[in-house]
Amino acid sequence: MSGVTDHLAEDDAHALRIVRNIVATLPARRDLPWEVTPAVEPKVDPSGLYGAVPVDSRTPYDVREIIARVVDGSRFAEFKSEFGQTLVTGFARIHGHPVGIVANNGILFSESAQKGAHFIELCDQRGIPLVFLQNISGFMVGKDYEAGGIAKHGAKMVTAVASTRVPKLTVVVGGSYGAGNYSMCGRAYSPRFLWMWPNAKISVMGGEQAASVLATVKRDQLEARGETWPAEDEEAFKAPVREQYERQGNAYYATARLWDDGVIDPLETRQVLGLALTACANAPLGDPQFGVFRM
Amino acid sequence: MFDTVLVANRGEIAVRVVRTLRALGVRSVAVFSDADADARHVREADTAVRIGPAPAAESYLSVERLLEAAARTGAQAVHPGYGFLAENAGFARACADAGLAFIGPPADAISLMGDKIRAKETVKAAGVPVVPGSSGSGLTDAELADAAREIGMPVLLKPSAGGGGKGMRLVRDAALLADEIAAARREARASFGDDTLLVERWVDRPRHIEIQVLADGHGNVVHLGERECSLQRRHQKIIEEAPSVLLDEATRAAMGEAAVQAARSCGYRGAGTVEFIVPGGDPSSYYFMEMNTRLQVEHPVTELITGIDLVEWQLRVAAGERLAFGQDDIRLTGHAVEARVCAETVSVREGARGFLPSGGTVLRLREPQGDGVRTDSGLSEGTEVGSLYDPMLSKVIAYGPDRATALRKLRAALAGTVTLGVPTNAGFLRRLLAHPAVVAGELDTGLVERVVDDLVTSEVPEEVYEAAAAVRLDALRPAGDGWTDPFSVPSGWRLGGTPRPVSFHLRVQDPVEYTPRGSATVTDDEVSVTLDGVRHTFERAADWLGRDGDAWHVRDHDPMAASLTGAAHAGADSLTAPMPGTVTVVKVAVGDEVTAGQSLLVVEAMKMEHVISAPHAGTVAELDVTPGTTVAMDQVLAVVTPAEEDR
Repeated sequence: MSGVTDHLAEDDAHALRIVRNIVATLPARRDLPWEVTPAVEPKVDPSGLYGAVPVDSRTPYDVREIIARVVDGSRFAEFKSEFGQTLVTGFARIHGHPVGIVANNGILFSESAQKGAHFIELCDQRGIPLVFLQNISGFMVGKDYEAGGIAKHGAKMVTAVASTRVPKLTVVVGGSYGAGNYSMCGRAYSPRFLWMWPNAKISVMGGEQAASVLATVKRDQLEARGETWPAEDEEAFKAPVREQYERQGNAYYATARLWDDGVIDPLETRQVLGLALTACANAPLGDPQFGVFRM
Repeated sequence: MFDTVLVANRGEIAVRVVRTLRALGVRSVAVFSDADADARHVREADTAVRIGPAPAAESYLSVERLLEAAARTGAQAVHPGYGFLAENAGFARACADAGLAFIGPPADAISLMGDKIRAKETVKAAGVPVVPGSSGSGLTDAELADAAREIGMPVLLKPSAGGGGKGMRLVRDAALLADEIAAARREARASFGDDTLLVERWVDRPRHIEIQVLADGHGNVVHLGERECSLQRRHQKIIEEAPSVLLDEATRAAMGEAAVQAARSCGYRGAGTVEFIVPGGDPSSYYFMEMNTRLQVEHPVTELITGIDLVEWQLRVAAGERLAFGQDDIRLTGHAVEARVCAETVSVREGARGFLPSGGTVLRLREPQGDGVRTDSGLSEGTEVGSLYDPMLSKVIAYGPDRATALRKLRAALAGTVTLGVPTNAGFLRRLLAHPAVVAGELDTGLVERVVDDLVTSEVPEEVYEAAAAVRLDALRPAGDGWTDPFSVPSGWRLGGTPRPVSFHLRVQDPVEYTPRGSATVTDDEVSVTLDGVRHTFERAADWLGRDGDAWHVRDHDPMAASLTGAAHAGADSLTAPMPGTVTVVKVAVGDEVTAGQSLLVVEAMKMEHVISAPHAGTVAELDVTPGTTVAMDQVLAVVTPAEEDR
């Protein structure tokens, strides 16, 4: 009666039919904001993705093993491969879309962060969407590194991530801890999509690390009062902390709270990225507008 | 020889005659009705003349228009083909009067042989055996019994006034004659108001064997051996072969001689066929049935085993030439079998059992030719097959050194015969040719009707749905070599779940939802699917799939549309036309209460009536036709809502 309703369906099936008819009248896709080429399946067997990331995030691995199993034809043009090697950056294609890949290969050092910022600016200039493969326990800590300005270098990368106009897609393939989450385009940095692999963990720091930090504080207090803290008591103190981090850092705990856009099968990473890039291509790119980079 | 010959026919026989005319360097004139303006026979002839609207009575049967067409194109002779005016003495005379040579026997021979009783008397007088029977009419019971005993048991009592087998009684025991005669008289009186009876020898397991004769105008008559045409349905031949496995040399020579005598007895000229009925158990006792004063449909089998072009000799004889060969020059070599491909479905659907005419537009055509296989056809792609003319579309003829080879080649040729868009009996014929009785040569005219159920299945093989689904899936895939939108790939991919493959709602008979589960290769005219490691290849065109002579019309079914329009009951409540044709009788009106099995209307097509009856007790909810309505195959004619208790 009010005219608010455009169509009247008899039942669900009829409603779906009507929706299909509506969708059929939508305009064709406009020109894509970047050039696309025919998709090529990866040359490297993607089934290796299941073994690409070690269970223990402290075990070294090579993120290129993942990249080779996700990108078109397993072709990856690496940028600055000899500098800041704990961050892997480079160009590739996924389902025909050009992408700039930013992938962790260890903790972030000043060089890695500068390289990341540089690469993101490049992609922004070229209008190439960014794909972050996140497996990060954080920025390097320690007196020398603080003195070396890791905070300002890290900030450059964070600024670049925060300011870029190109679509950002994030896949958490391992750990996502601390400030590394920001520089690698965590949720707060507005990636168009963010997915977790089932093995992924997300928290401000690792459970073991958190337990140790809290235990150190506690022991310092006890020792200041001249008390001792038996090892078994300390362990009893640490266990629930570890357990809480373990539980709440779980990918499913996170996804259940909509902190991400879904837990994906590693084998579907390429497919999910291809679809997401295609979806992103529907929006035009804005003009470049970066914030102030700390120098 | 003539310069120009008009072919007063259509379809495969017109194409066939034109072929020989071209080979002889004679200009050919085709004629066509409006329905045939773009037909193959028109395109293959040197020139063509429109002779009227689609109905045969106003075109192919119009003597006046045919003669006018001949006059306008300067034709000197007319080849009538078979059917239409081929055995019309009046047409033969009219041709002669118009100064045209009629390529066929003299008009007198046509009318003599066209009169069954005079024909029998004439050939009997010439010494040709006819089915023993009573002569004269108005016989008393005693005279009938005497005649029966004289003929020998078993005998058939026939009402003189009857036809179509009605009121006929078979008597095997002489002791029962009196009772049976009395009963037959009662029945004849009740049915026809006339109790005059005839008595005839009953021919057990009858076989239809005919002899081809060729006569010139100079007194020379030869026979070209026999053809066996015992495989029939609805008294129409569907498989013919030469020679017959039943005959030995002596019988063949005797029957041939009898046929020559029959031809001489009526002053025959040209190509003709003398039909005999032969008891399956006793090939030496053959009886004259009738003489066909025309070129027969099945003439190619004779051509293949004799090497003689019968159309060529029809023309030569009509032009006054002498036969260039005598009886001794004629050698029968090898074996030839012909199958008639007709626009008909062989159905075992309840309520539509049997052979039903079909129709449609030929979307894709493949007709085997060469290497011992010949196809005589009037089809081309785009040909529309309706109910206007004869449903026979083409003939596939195979030749081999022996019968087994010919049968095998014919089966292979039928498997390679594709007429997508028009359902044919090719697959059925192919299975019939593999039936043990056919392979063994144990034929009789009732065989086809007896074994039909074994040769037809209503089940649709899974690979048909697989192939139909593959075609549809392929159509959904994005085309082009460039970049592919991954959203447009019909992979059924689901985020975080198992893929939900695309399924299709399909309908051959009952609707099914089918999800392809094999791999497939789809091209414009073919689709191959691999199911459980077995590869199946189909020809395809639009919604049609064909394989080994069989074809399936796999339509999209829209369950939603069906449920919205209330036609979800299609098949149960809706009565559809089993064949294209014309509604002749409508016995009910909307709102009528009907009982299960009650006949509601009658659809007629090609000399065949089909009764549409109620599938269940209920009320006529819809009735979309009136007498005279032309209906397409599967068109909904009426809807019967079931009575409450049937729900």
